Amino acid sequence: MQSNKINLPDTIEQWRLEGSPKRIDSKNIFDYMNGAGELYLGYHFDHLWVYEYRDQSGNDILVELYHMKDSNDAFGLLSLDWGGEAETTMIAFPDALYGKGLLRVWSNNIYVRIMAMKETPVARDVILKLGKIIASNRSNPSPPKLLRVLEPILGSHWTLRRDRIGYFYSHLVLNSFYYLSHENILNLNHLTEAVIAAYEKTRKDHDQKRFHFLVINYPDHQQALMAMNGFVEAYLPDRKRENQPELKNENKNFYQIEDGWMGYKLQNRYLALVFECPDLESAREIMNGVNLNKYQQED
Amino acid sequence: MTKKKGVVTRRDFIRGTVGASIGVTLLGPEWLKGIENREIRSSVVIVRDRRAMDEAMNVDKNVLEKMLEQTLIKVTGKNNVKDAWLSLVSPGDVIGLVPTPHLNPTHDEVIEVVKSSLVAAGIPAGNIRNAQGRSVNLQSITALISLPGLKAHWLTGIGTVLKNYILYSGAPRNYHNQNSAKMGEIWNRPEVKGKTKLVLVDALYPLCDKGPQPDPRYKWAYNGLIAGTDPVAVEAVCLKIITAKREALRGEPWPLSPPPICLEVADKVYKLGTGNLRNIEIQTVGWDKELLI
Repeated sequence: MQSNKINLPDTIEQWRLEGSPKRIDSKNIFDYMNGAGELYLGYHFDHLWVYEYRDQSGNDILVELYHMKDSNDAFGLLSLDWGGEAETTMIAFPDALYGKGLLRVWSNNIYVRIMAMKETPVARDVILKLGKIIASNRSNPSPPKLLRVLEPILGSHWTLRRDRIGYFYSHLVLNSFYYLSHENILNLNHLTEAVIAAYEKTRKDHDQKRFHFLVINYPDHQQALMAMNGFVEAYLPDRKRENQPELKNENKNFYQIEDGWMGYKLQNRYLALVFECPDLESAREIMNGVNLNKYQQED
Repeated sequence: MTKKKGVVTRRDFIRGTVGASIGVTLLGPEWLKGIENREIRSSVVIVRDRRAMDEAMNVDKNVLEKMLEQTLIKVTGKNNVKDAWLSLVSPGDVIGLVPTPHLNPTHDEVIEVVKSSLVAAGIPAGNIRNAQGRSVNLQSITALISLPGLKAHWLTGIGTVLKNYILYSGAPRNYHNQNSAKMGEIWNRPEVKGKTKLVLVDALYPLCDKGPQPDPRYKWAYNGLIAGTDPVAVEAVCLKIITAKREALRGEPWPLSPPPICLEVADKVYKLGTGNLRNIEIQTVGWDKELLI
């Protein structure tokens, strides 16, 4: 683990640090940010340092350093929104994104937000300088291994939308990416990890189709099976009788529901689900193309 | 069809049965009888002026005052501002102004022009107070004017009108996630019920993504006020604007997630107004560029 000690300057250009940095932890995070605290607690939050800079005109720049348990957590927070200008680029994912006065950075186990209350060209330069100071000497490991389950192309020319990939642990965050239920019907928790992505293809008639693909890694097969059964009970109550999952390593089912075809596949401790497929053939083809074994061998 | 009681899913939302699912869970089958033959019509006013803010997003109070005047006259149908206010409140009322304190807070200028306009209409300044927060003594307040900022919210979908009274519950975390559906019940608490005389949404500089923290990429200068006396109808119009802006930004469908289930439930279960846009007359005044309705 790299050093978590970040030394920020007292002054940078015309901005001066206002007071001492504030330390926020899980006990007072809701005082600091109200309900937004749920998001960070859902990503193994440890603590947060808050720095406030101000120039002589009263323009503020807020620096927030979220110290998470590990790099996957900080990556997951950045994955909430891939929009913005990429400031540095890894092979597959940017590790810093800037837009209209807000810089977000994945720096190993630290997730960084630096925001100017009023964006100006000078404020932008200062924000980027602060970002570089924070990220210097802190290289990032690879993105979470679970993302390897996302093939660039699935089935017949379904293309992965790289800007619609989310990595998370909590059902609250799942609902932020893709709403299934306000209740935790997939039994997500800190011991599970999940990735969701959108795939698209444009048909000959220029009609664009999209489906959503969700893969969850449970601690073991039994928990994955229980989650699958709970999901069927809550989400497919009208199809429950059709589904008699057995205690074996793989289960696969497809259903036509209100927004298209959905399917799921249980393989060892992994549950893969697909939503909004245009037809049964696509759903089958997609699920058949998902090779969770390949991911498990690399795990 | 049987399913776990009270589990609302994406499928309910697509079918438009969120209200039914939650209504039956909260109130039992008797609730179904209550929704029959219930047809409410409401009106919502949108007033916009492109000069309301400058390029640096500073608010021009003079412009804002005129926008407020136009809003009040349209909402009440009266000929002048004084009559408009006095059709909503009386000089004997103790009036609580309820701005949004966090995540895209209500502009101070909006609160100031409302207060000065009330005073000009004959309401004693001493009878006007800030009524946002857990510690407000609602018993002594006879009229509420809700002044929420237009915004989305990551735990409730939309976080504008209905959510603006969440601190009155004393336990705001009890109204997040699946319990956000019950947001409307706060409006029916004895110390709140019937007191809201006007909902006036600060739509000068809205936030169309849910956060949970402000992201300037999703704020835009709408330069508007949105108002009405039916909180559910005002929320429905706000939701339409936010949804349209999100789609315009991304160039593809970008629904709020989680969906704002509190809206349908406020209409069908708590009967606070109508969320059905077909039953809402939207009157617009002023700048019509990217109106988003």
